[in-house]
Amino acid sequence: MSESLMRLLAELPTAELEPERAERIRKSCRARIVRPAPHAFSSRVTCAQVWQALVAALGAAYLIGAIIEAVRVYRLS
Amino acid sequence: MSRGRSSRVITAVERETELALVARLRQGDADAFDDVFAAFNTRLFTFLVRLSRRRDVAEDLVEETWLRLVKHARRLRPDTRLGPWLFTVARHLHVSFNRSRVLEDSAAVSLIAVWPFSFEQASPFEAAAASELERRIERALAALPSTSREVLLLVGVAGLTHSDAADVCGITPEALRQRLHRAREALATALERDAATEPPALGGIASCPSR
Repeated sequence: MSESLMRLLAELPTAELEPERAERIRKSCRARIVRPAPHAFSSRVTCAQVWQALVAALGAAYLIGAIIEAVRVYRLS
Repeated sequence: MSRGRSSRVITAVERETELALVARLRQGDADAFDDVFAAFNTRLFTFLVRLSRRRDVAEDLVEETWLRLVKHARRLRPDTRLGPWLFTVARHLHVSFNRSRVLEDSAAVSLIAVWPFSFEQASPFEAAAASELERRIERALAALPSTSREVLLLVGVAGLTHSDAADVCGITPEALRQRLHRAREALATALERDAATEPPALGGIASCPSR
């Protein structure tokens, strides 16, 4: 039963978009794909890079501060 | 609706060709898009029409699927499998559409519990079916829960492998096999029930040889 059922499913008719609509979609997509990388993507990458740099800078400042403080404390003691 | 399997023949994209197409898509090659569009558009649209049971919805969803491909073309992984990728997007869009439709329909709050809900209208395929057997299959397909229907459509109609269909549905191949088995049984039961309730002779599916 299952094999014949699957064969029947495979033989069912296909559906076609109206040619005008299919052509409109195709042309629209063609026009979009040749454009350079979208601005939103590049700005998102830039934003991520800025955040990473900021976090790294804060981390470095904290570390340096901790080292300075440790040196100060040891000198005092 | 068109007959035959010509569109299925040209969709058998070889892996090497597929990798080359992906590479060209990543470079923004419009001709590569044309090739992919020609290879998959009919299969995608057929899948969406049967899944949504509405031609107008399927038209919008297939357009959105192609727009998603274009939007993500440059970020595709080099080893992307186009068929599963496209069917996954189409399926997600359909799920999102169903969810938004349920949420937008203030009178359908009670339906959320039983989503996916059933449609009473005939599917476009059912209306256009050339034979009584086809009509019964379309009717039985349309009556199945969407989780069962989608696996039958992906494997039985669109011709995806079990592994690819599992990727599309976001489940393991083993779970896909189980779901497919249950879906086949549900479809066969629905067909037999349909044949029993409609007197006109058409042994059709009921008389198909058992395995």
